[in-house]
Amino acid sequence: MSSDLEQRLEGFLHELPEAEPEVGERALATSLAALTPVARTRRSLRAVVVAFAAAFVLLAIAAGSLAAAGALQIGFFQKPPPPSQLSLPAGTNGIAAVIYGRLSVTTRTGFRLKGLPVSAAALSPHALYVAAGVGKSLVALAPSGRTAWSHPTSMRGCPKKSDCGTVAAIAWAPDGFRIAYLVRTPTRALVLHVIWGNGTHDTVIDSNAHNTRPSWRADSLALAYVGVGGRPIVYDLAHESHTVIRWKAARQVTHLAFAPDGKELAVGTEQTVLLVGRHHDFVGRVRSASLGWLGDRLVVSGQRVWPSPPPTLLYTVSRSGRATLSRSIRVGGQVVSTHGQTVAVMANGKVLVGRLDALHTVVTFRPAVCGGSNGAYTCWGALGKNDVEVG
Amino acid sequence: VREPSDRDLVRRARRGDRDAAALLFRRYWRDAWRAAYAITGRRALADDVAADAFERAFGALGRFDDRRPFAPWLHRIVANRALDLLRAERRLSDEELPDMPDVAPVHAAGDRSLLGAVVDLPLERRVVVVLRYGVGMTPKQIAGALDLPAGTVNSRLARALEQLRESLEVEHVE
Repeated sequence: MSSDLEQRLEGFLHELPEAEPEVGERALATSLAALTPVARTRRSLRAVVVAFAAAFVLLAIAAGSLAAAGALQIGFFQKPPPPSQLSLPAGTNGIAAVIYGRLSVTTRTGFRLKGLPVSAAALSPHALYVAAGVGKSLVALAPSGRTAWSHPTSMRGCPKKSDCGTVAAIAWAPDGFRIAYLVRTPTRALVLHVIWGNGTHDTVIDSNAHNTRPSWRADSLALAYVGVGGRPIVYDLAHESHTVIRWKAARQVTHLAFAPDGKELAVGTEQTVLLVGRHHDFVGRVRSASLGWLGDRLVVSGQRVWPSPPPTLLYTVSRSGRATLSRSIRVGGQVVSTHGQTVAVMANGKVLVGRLDALHTVVTFRPAVCGGSNGAYTCWGALGKNDVEVG
Repeated sequence: VREPSDRDLVRRARRGDRDAAALLFRRYWRDAWRAAYAITGRRALADDVAADAFERAFGALGRFDDRRPFAPWLHRIVANRALDLLRAERRLSDEELPDMPDVAPVHAAGDRSLLGAVVDLPLERRVVVVLRYGVGMTPKQIAGALDLPAGTVNSRLARALEQLRESLEVEHVE
């Protein structure tokens, strides 16, 4: 009987259905993006260097000839990359951007920080502190630029380097008393922590979070994040309880933003923007790159699902579900709004801040020499003395 | 033309060869997804688990010892990720979740009664059955993958088989 049963069991997996084709294609794309090539051998590296040098010489000769004839203008670094993170805190007293893993901070009080290698960063309300993932720690920097405190990214400290991970995202509570942060562990799991603003009382909220920046409710007593299955979860700090939002459409969530009144949660997925709260509504067929609230309006940087693939643009989404093109600027990075009035976006190498109909440049990103132990190398940084003019 | 071995593909993928990585993906995606589906019982979770397992596997190829076979390593990641997700979901759930809501109804052909019985197994037993008979791992490999003593794996397998046998006999009588 047992052997007969085992024979039957050996074929049962092949009787199961298969994944939808688009699921496989999407998984393939994300898997390929996760490939981290190991260093080639010294011999092949040498061959690449020689080939690159030869190609560069030939290119320089050709370009020189064309330039001499007036047929070619040469420029490098014309289009800077979008920031991976953009943080405009309550009070609009400063702005922080992370580009190519380098932090740039500018505040109205004159605090300037440029070129610090970080994995994530966010300004506190009123730009009093900046929290950043530095190495295997969460670090808070005071306005003077000194380190206010540093906390290892493991509850047990970091007796071995392999015990700790890197900070993937940071969100300050609106009252400034707590920080939610995501740690990518050496096993690539994402762990959501909440720590007090003075660097004490670190608590693990969820060991199976997704890589989406958490969003605090305005009263700082609840936190929305993306958990198991890509579903939004609201964590109530007062009751230490988790509520999983089980609306079928709220899957594969990429962005979250609590409404200013705290009664609704805007949820961006790969296909649409949803409002979870009093009623569950579809509010726009836009593939969101980021979300932010301007009063009772929702601002989305994203792509229309149809036609595809359009550039990433800035839309406002009304409660009736209409996604309206707000400004035809190509947007990169995240939208952040504060006080329901101000929005910050990254576009064409500039950070634009202001009201939606009157955005103006506050920071321009240009290449800057950041230095390095083995000779100088180029990175991107914010330039400007009195950049921040809003408030 | 001889198909490249897993080891060849892993080595090429480690050097950044996306074609080799894609071939490796296509070779094991179906099995990985089906194993995830058999463990989690839900297509949505299987999508997440299988995709996440491949992402983690490809991200860790640089640390993978390519003298070892690729498939058991991948299925180990699949099984552990599925267990993590299901346990976390149980912990976080504010409502009772059906344990295996959509495997049996979706499955139209094949050994329906056997599948139904597998579906009814407790999670810990179901995982070892899927890894042993679905994926073809040895009890020793399963023990390593799930970080369990070999004796625990063997006892779970024996109890699972006993439960399956009883379940199938009941159905047969009915």
